[in-house]
Amino acid sequence: MAKSDDCIHILQGLLVFGNVVIGMCGIALTAECIYFVSNPYGPYPLLKDTGNNDFYAAAWIGIFVGLALFALSILGIIGVIKASRTLLLVYIILMLITFAFEMASCITAATHRDSLTPNVFLKQMLERYQKSEPANNSDNEVTKTWDELMLQKHCCGVLGPSDWQEYTSAFRLTHNDADYPWPRKCCVLDAQGLPVNLDACKLGVPGYYNSNGCYDAISGPVNTHAWGVAWFGFAILCWTFCVLLGTMFYWSGIEY
Amino acid sequence: LPSPPVRLPYVPHVPPMALLGKVTATTFALERPRCVFDGHADASDAVWLAVAFANASATFRNPRSRADVPPYKQLPTARSYMTLETAAAAYSCSAPSPPVLRVGGDTACRDQGRQDPCNGPLPFPGPYRVKFLLMGCRGPKAETRWSEPILLRRAVSPGTIDPAPTHRGSDVVVIASILASLGAVLATAVLGALGAKVWDSLCHQDLGTDAFTRRSYRTHHIPPALPQPLPPGCGCNPPGLCHSA
Repeated sequence: MAKSDDCIHILQGLLVFGNVVIGMCGIALTAECIYFVSNPYGPYPLLKDTGNNDFYAAAWIGIFVGLALFALSILGIIGVIKASRTLLLVYIILMLITFAFEMASCITAATHRDSLTPNVFLKQMLERYQKSEPANNSDNEVTKTWDELMLQKHCCGVLGPSDWQEYTSAFRLTHNDADYPWPRKCCVLDAQGLPVNLDACKLGVPGYYNSNGCYDAISGPVNTHAWGVAWFGFAILCWTFCVLLGTMFYWSGIEY
Repeated sequence: LPSPPVRLPYVPHVPPMALLGKVTATTFALERPRCVFDGHADASDAVWLAVAFANASATFRNPRSRADVPPYKQLPTARSYMTLETAAAAYSCSAPSPPVLRVGGDTACRDQGRQDPCNGPLPFPGPYRVKFLLMGCRGPKAETRWSEPILLRRAVSPGTIDPAPTHRGSDVVVIASILASLGAVLATAVLGALGAKVWDSLCHQDLGTDAFTRRSYRTHHIPPALPQPLPPGCGCNPPGLCHSA
């Protein structure tokens, strides 16, 4: 009997350790998601405007799932040490529910990242940037966000200044092509905010205009956020899966 | 009768260097001709640029004098015009100047409708052919060849942009499939364990001696103990009346 007691103690120890890890990961997930929700980065108005707000839903779910994981891990530790069937059964069922929610959050975050193609921003930029009669406040937001983005990141358009040449746009309706092949913000500006050489900028002389697109500046933070929620959540779930299997094995061995 | 203008072998062309704006929807750039008119131009001569639709370049007639120069606003009807009147000295070998000429860059003269040579934006995508014409006081003195047809950019509507992702990223597929299978395994395991327990408790089966079971004390029904048989070293006949020796 001593050998099976040892096995039981080892299993208990492993389960306690597994639950401790789950608890800590739950806290980390909550903290990370609170950070993402409360700290929207610069191009967030563009995302909000495209209607692709799923990422924030995923982050909000992540906050509550993290807290639930922490609470359930404490319940699990108590249940394992006391070898109580009811406690462990409650633990398993609640963990399954939490598992399902976290699964939804991960898949949402990953899908959301996928749906932010350059075309989404291209279409929005061409139709809304510098719209002459802004239908609502969000048009102004889009214009302001793009202006700030192009100024700060020294970029132009989504894929490049040729976006403004390949497509007609709301900008093109108010700014003729000869004077403004692309917006003035795409030119290299001096300290006063005026183009260093306007003619060179209009001609597209390298060095006098910003030739790279802003898509990298937008999608970089989105990718980081999505990795943080989707893949971290996925890792937690894989670990939770192992702990839950171990707990079920342990539970089925407890006799009344 | 003035002599026909000298045909110079120079062919005007769009500059070969990488300039993003060398052809836009209403403007285009040309490489500035250098040393082309030296030897034919006087100090008072002017070099004009003749712009014509590609299919109208064959019917273009050089103007006899400056007064006959077709103006910018006649482009839709006359199918050609002349612009960029510049002193011939600006195209000489020794003149320091930007290497590119921009055709169509002056929006002010289009809006104000002046009669002067107007370098206004081109209202149609073309294609256009251009040539340089050296005009003296008595008419054209020299001309370059016609350029290759230059087609301007045509912009499409943003409604043609399809914002849907072209293919599902592998991330989503991996996460979704692995998580779904893990969830299914867990759900099956829980249901299986619960079902087994329910079945066991209904059928009162003995669980046997599994190595890991943690037995708590189980009270069995203990029947009343039978009297123990006497040890053989105590040879008493009536049972119960034995005294150990």
